[in-house]
Amino acid sequence: MSHFRSAYLSTRLSLLASRLISFEQLSSLIELELDQIINRVYEWTGHRYQPDVHDSRRIENQLAHTALDDFQILIRPFSGPERRFFYFAIRWFELVNVKVLIRGKFTSTPKSIIQQQLVDLGVFADLPLEKLLETEDPYEMLRLLESTAYAGIVRQARNVFDEQGNDLFLLDATIDKSFFIDLKKRLEGLDAQDVELVEQVMGSLLDRFNLLWLLRYRFSYGLSPAKSYFLLTSTGARLHAADLMRLAKMETIEQLVEALPAKLQQQLQGLTVISDIEQVIEYSTLEVAAKGLSRSGNLVSRAFSYILLREAEMRFLQALIKGKQLGFDQELIRLAVMGAR
Amino acid sequence: MLARPVQMKKISLYMVDTDAQQAALTLARMQVLHPFNDRLQDMEMQEYPANAYSELYNSLSNRFTKLSSGSGQKFSDPQDLTSIVTLQQIQLLDEELKDLWAIVSAMEERQRQLSEKLNATQQLTKSLQKFVSLDLDLSRLKRPGRFLKIIVGSVPSGHLAQLKRALSLAEFMIESFFSAEGIDHVVVVGSSQQQRDMQDLLKSADFREAIIPDEFSGNPAQLQADLAAQTEQIELAIRGVISKREQLLSDLAPILQSAHELLLRARPYASLALVLKGKGGLVFLQGWVPARDQDAISLRLQQDLQFPVHIQFSKPQMKEYDTVPSLLEHHWLLRPFQSLVSNFGLPSYAEFDPTVLFSISYILMFGMMFGDIGHGAFIAIVSVFLWKRYPAIAIVGGLAGLSSTGFGFVYGSVFGFEDVVHALWMSPMHDPEQILLLALVWGAVFLLIANLLAILNMLSSGLVNEALYSGKGVAGLVFYLAALYAGYQMMANDRAGWLELSLLALPMALIMRQLWRHSSANLFERTLVVLIESLEHLISSVSGTLSFLRVAAFSLNHIALAAAVFSIAAMMGTTGHWITIILGNLFIIVLEGAIVAIQCLRLEYYEGFSRFFSGTGKAFEPLKLGDH
Repeated sequence: MSHFRSAYLSTRLSLLASRLISFEQLSSLIELELDQIINRVYEWTGHRYQPDVHDSRRIENQLAHTALDDFQILIRPFSGPERRFFYFAIRWFELVNVKVLIRGKFTSTPKSIIQQQLVDLGVFADLPLEKLLETEDPYEMLRLLESTAYAGIVRQARNVFDEQGNDLFLLDATIDKSFFIDLKKRLEGLDAQDVELVEQVMGSLLDRFNLLWLLRYRFSYGLSPAKSYFLLTSTGARLHAADLMRLAKMETIEQLVEALPAKLQQQLQGLTVISDIEQVIEYSTLEVAAKGLSRSGNLVSRAFSYILLREAEMRFLQALIKGKQLGFDQELIRLAVMGAR
Repeated sequence: MLARPVQMKKISLYMVDTDAQQAALTLARMQVLHPFNDRLQDMEMQEYPANAYSELYNSLSNRFTKLSSGSGQKFSDPQDLTSIVTLQQIQLLDEELKDLWAIVSAMEERQRQLSEKLNATQQLTKSLQKFVSLDLDLSRLKRPGRFLKIIVGSVPSGHLAQLKRALSLAEFMIESFFSAEGIDHVVVVGSSQQQRDMQDLLKSADFREAIIPDEFSGNPAQLQADLAAQTEQIELAIRGVISKREQLLSDLAPILQSAHELLLRARPYASLALVLKGKGGLVFLQGWVPARDQDAISLRLQQDLQFPVHIQFSKPQMKEYDTVPSLLEHHWLLRPFQSLVSNFGLPSYAEFDPTVLFSISYILMFGMMFGDIGHGAFIAIVSVFLWKRYPAIAIVGGLAGLSSTGFGFVYGSVFGFEDVVHALWMSPMHDPEQILLLALVWGAVFLLIANLLAILNMLSSGLVNEALYSGKGVAGLVFYLAALYAGYQMMANDRAGWLELSLLALPMALIMRQLWRHSSANLFERTLVVLIESLEHLISSVSGTLSFLRVAAFSLNHIALAAAVFSIAAMMGTTGHWITIILGNLFIIVLEGAIVAIQCLRLEYYEGFSRFFSGTGKAFEPLKLGDH
């Protein structure tokens, strides 16, 4: 990348980073009314959202659009493997659509309901959504999906469906697993220095996914240690293959938390509910991403960190605004957005 | 010369709901209605009676598209385009196509499954070649052991490492004995007591067990033969499924033809789903129609509809201009130029359509920049040959070639030879200064016309202040004329006094005042914006005019290139001389011709269109019969 582009991107990243909503700011929003939240978010981010009282999906689409617009600006100066890596990373958003479509078709959900749940990804959209919606059975849809960029992921999903029946949770897990394995493969195409720094942030993300899925597989779905371990994705920064194999053998959540590497164990000490663990570990991942973003020098790792933080901000705002629109209790919203701690 | 889009009128139709389909069909056959939904009108009519019809139409249309794309069938249009299609007719046919598509889709799924099976069998055949030399009785692997469970099969290579570790948790081991095309062929061994866990895990890993028939008791070589037979069987089954599907689709030809006919007639009403409003048996339809068709529309609707219809036509009001579509109509000779104009943008309803002006100026500029009898004639002749396949290119090329030939006579140039034909005026090389001056005059006239058009466009859109005081308005025009006068005085008389400065300052002050009034920033920012934009206006007036010097520059360049070709040719022998002349001329025609064509387009778009043409118009898209 030329010096000019690096300087531009660095400035752009700093500007975008300055507009991210902090944990404290987010916390302060919970007590406000919806109009006040919208105004405050506008002051902080420059994005004016317009919620629709009759359609809560509208705000979700608006939040996704603004995030995707920012990503587009950010990715534009990159080229070659870096650009391909980021484009693939942003497919995470489209995987949400893939899951909605698969879930919808396998549960015979009406087209109009599936349509409402889809997110319009603008320039990042790769799926022929209209054609997919028009398919008349799950197999027709899977055949069509196999002709898209998601062929590999969908093939995995089909195998799971063929073998395990209508098990949507396993479908979701398989799709996530394939995505992260492919993302890690694409990381290998970057410069060695970039790989090292991005791996620190991605490692934390993979740890989060692996630990959460392991907890769910073992204690929510009662899968065997061997199968639970197999369904996990690429290894992350702190939970290596041997750790995960050891953890998979644990019989209770308490035992599993006790068996975690020291730092993780310290963070999760005393937690016995999976959703609480999820939130603590998510904030830990975001802290790593925040450090990655503030670290000067490596633009690829900073941009990747920004994408993670922005995606989380989008989800938190979606939960907050939707909770307010539906008139939920403040404490319930706080629990959904901030977690138990 | 200064055409506008075809004059439109707003049509408002009130009719009985049972007549709505017929009205849609009649208007679609006439291709005169551009429907639109005026949200402010008829607020009390909040029902959309064509919605259910439209949904069914879309469903039928999708099923028809899926089935017909597989059949490759060609459809003929119906003789009768006058009878309407009822909701029940669509419903019945949709149900029929739904069942048929379910059969076809199941066949496609079967074909996919068989293809996958074929792939797995072929992989297994390859992997078993590894066993051939062992002369091992493979059926032993199938027999259930008391303590040991052994399975042979394949697994995607990407899963192997993780599967190995996972199996170790269930106290099983896995070994790969052959790997190809992303698949590992493996043997899995472990305790018989743990096999349920293991099999569940293997399923998740997309493990495919090798199919060894129970009755099979042979060695790998025999199994190879068995697999070859299996492969053949699967291939046969695939061919069978394909031929069955093709047969079914071919049998469907009459149903698909009737679906095509029905969709063709149903489309107009279905496409009104979002614009046709109604309540209590009365419906309201609104849209834009060419004003000249007003009487014909009234007459046809009165004839075709069963019940009385209330039709109201009104001229578009200025506030409605944004919704009025632009319909451009030109002689066939000008249509390729219309496409070039549309590349920049479609004129809005209130704007002048610059197609005629563009066509004339483009052709003239091309000739001026590429004036040569031979080159022009060559382009014109080549264009004639392109007529059948690329008529648009042939028209533009033909006219540009003729213009080039015309200017070739003016310059006295044939294939670069300056002394074969007597020049009607003079060769650009003989007096470059005069040619440059002529180009400047051409540019100034071009920009003045652009400025006048901008003023007229602004007045048509009701932007009176802009038309008077903006840089593109009268103030800008006066400033430009003053700048031309000042420039002339400096060039001719070597002076620019108070008069010239005052003539420049007055309109500039008006332009600055207008910019000031339009800015809402703070004092500093406002001052900065006004100063920068005024300076930008000044610079663009000068640079815009100078930009036209390229008209002269290219005419000189044309002669210079020809001179270069002749110089090289002079260094050759007789044969080489003529080969160089021919190749050099071809080079000039192709390369310089293309550059000149692009430069002319650049002058039109950036020096012309950007000054007066917004190009924000919406195309007139009439209600039509279906196009399946």
